[in-house]
Amino acid sequence: MDSWIHPALFFFIGSLLIPFVKGKARTFLILLIPVLSIIDVAVMTEGVYGTFSFLGTTIVLGRVDKLSLIFAWVFTIMAFLGALYALHVKEDGHHAAGSFYIGSSLGAIFAGDYLTLFIFWEIMAFSSVFLIWYRKEKKSIDAGYRYLLVHVFGGLCFFAGMMLYAYKTGGFAFERIGQTGAGLPEYLILAGFALNAAVIPLHAWLPDAYPESTVEGAVLMCAFTTKTAVYVLARGFPGFEVLAILGTAMTVYGVFYAVIENDMRRVLAYHIISQVGYMVAGVGIGTELALNGACAHAFAHILYKALLFMGAGAVLYMTGTAKLSKLGGLYKYMPLTMIFYVIGAISISGFPLFSGFVSKSMIVASAHEEGRLVLMSLMNLAGIGTFLSVGLKVTYFAFFSKEAPIQAKEPPKNMLWAMGLTSALCFIIGVYPDALYALLPFSVEYRPYTLPHISEMLQILSFTGLVFFLLVKKLAPEDKMNLDMDIFYRYGGRAFMWIDVHIISVIDSYWGELYKVLGLKAIFKNAQLSYSFDRKIIDGVVDGSALGVRGIGGVVKKLQTGKIQTYMGLAILFFVLIVWYIIRDM
Amino acid sequence: MNILKCIESLRRNIKALRNVLIVYLVVLVIFDVVIHIGAHGHYFVDNIPAFWTMFGIIGCFLLIKVGKGIAHQFLSKDEDFYG
Repeated sequence: MDSWIHPALFFFIGSLLIPFVKGKARTFLILLIPVLSIIDVAVMTEGVYGTFSFLGTTIVLGRVDKLSLIFAWVFTIMAFLGALYALHVKEDGHHAAGSFYIGSSLGAIFAGDYLTLFIFWEIMAFSSVFLIWYRKEKKSIDAGYRYLLVHVFGGLCFFAGMMLYAYKTGGFAFERIGQTGAGLPEYLILAGFALNAAVIPLHAWLPDAYPESTVEGAVLMCAFTTKTAVYVLARGFPGFEVLAILGTAMTVYGVFYAVIENDMRRVLAYHIISQVGYMVAGVGIGTELALNGACAHAFAHILYKALLFMGAGAVLYMTGTAKLSKLGGLYKYMPLTMIFYVIGAISISGFPLFSGFVSKSMIVASAHEEGRLVLMSLMNLAGIGTFLSVGLKVTYFAFFSKEAPIQAKEPPKNMLWAMGLTSALCFIIGVYPDALYALLPFSVEYRPYTLPHISEMLQILSFTGLVFFLLVKKLAPEDKMNLDMDIFYRYGGRAFMWIDVHIISVIDSYWGELYKVLGLKAIFKNAQLSYSFDRKIIDGVVDGSALGVRGIGGVVKKLQTGKIQTYMGLAILFFVLIVWYIIRDM
Repeated sequence: MNILKCIESLRRNIKALRNVLIVYLVVLVIFDVVIHIGAHGHYFVDNIPAFWTMFGIIGCFLLIKVGKGIAHQFLSKDEDFYG
């Protein structure tokens, strides 16, 4: 059946068209791209599409099943909300990079083989980095380079694992991998995936880069990279014990940093680690309820985390800072922004009637069902930290606490609309969870609204609130930054540069000298020997050939003009020939 | 604006608000004790009334104290630490 259109196509083509339209048509186009993709996902039926053979392997562009569909749904909906939020952005490149990024993440979730997945995986990293660089500040440019280097490292782990895996199994098919029998290839792939999911200790890129990205870029980035990684983990590695443990550790690690951080967007970025931790733990627990929970939580999380980043972004956009130590009293100037932010905060904390309550609890319940009470308690501890940091601390210190040191206005209308729509979705999922549950990959009976569960969540959250107000002075934000794992590669990079400058280049120049003094003499000697050998013996034997070689040499000499355009022309010609040669063989 | 007036009036009546919230917390604990009467869960955490109240208080206290403690001892640096 060929009636399947890859939703990524809309984003790829759209991103190329954006620079050529202006005014209202441009606004229309930017919103039309995600709308078309949502319709595309809505009419899609399950099956395998876009299969063809390439260099002896089978490429699958479109594996459509329940698992990929739920991610496609939330990705395309988020693409619309993100586009609406970013409508005021003037730079075409920003929109184009965003579209490319979203398109490639859709490409990754529909990929049925490792080769396709790898290509889209890399496009994601290289297109999303522009959302950091468009902030156009030195900090952002530095953070962008670090982001890129870390992702290239992750990509290389993935690539090495993929090649070893193909060697081991004889193919690139991307299927579920069992924990028993998994060796180096599987764990290398797992490490590559885990880096994108910000699994500790491979997480530091996230809180390093996201707070330095553009206001609108952060809203997109917080949704796609980590959740694509959750998808591939759920597809390939369910039931891996290491994920259950590291995932739970992530939930606590993330909130720990969120409690002590000062920058609003860095609090939220650390909090992504915590929330993705629930999903990774769900994948690691690996039961049907847990996997359903991971998918449901990814869906709900994308929406409310984007909402929180929209709120924090609006504050940054209107006041020029996201540092809690410099903010306060904003409820007077940005009441709507505050209400939308609070809706995001109570959704993420898991208050009844909002989306976190119906999704996060599935994962906690699956840990409970499996008798893993330590994991369950740690997840609930992270739930406390969630409400404490994102819900109470940020809301209190940004919107209340002291009189406003910075006066501001509500953000542009398109931002408010995006926040309003996202808030509505968080609420709808909370009161009507069956709409979300219908999309889940497994049919599991789960009821979030039971009396013990409501009582449990309300107790945890309400008494967290009590302790917060008793200890609020302890939590006063400070103008500090906190060390994290990135210290290793920040200092590692400096150490590498030091070794390069002080040792390698010194050795290199000594080597050059040595070569000049000893090597040249040896070469001259050698040349003399071979010259006389050539002259006296070879020429005597094959006299005619020397003349012929001299003739070809003349032609080659003409090609070596020293002009760069000649070399480039030749290189392109050569490349075309190789491509033609490969295609002919297919 | 109406939202603003609501918030302002809540801030003016902060003491009344505090009392309402205290009553709410008490009701919450009583509610949990009531739903535990005659109920038997799988694990011990399911059978202790107001377990999550204690968990919330102790957990939040530890997070703030330990978090800020470690930050002040080891993690916090000046903002231009990396230059």
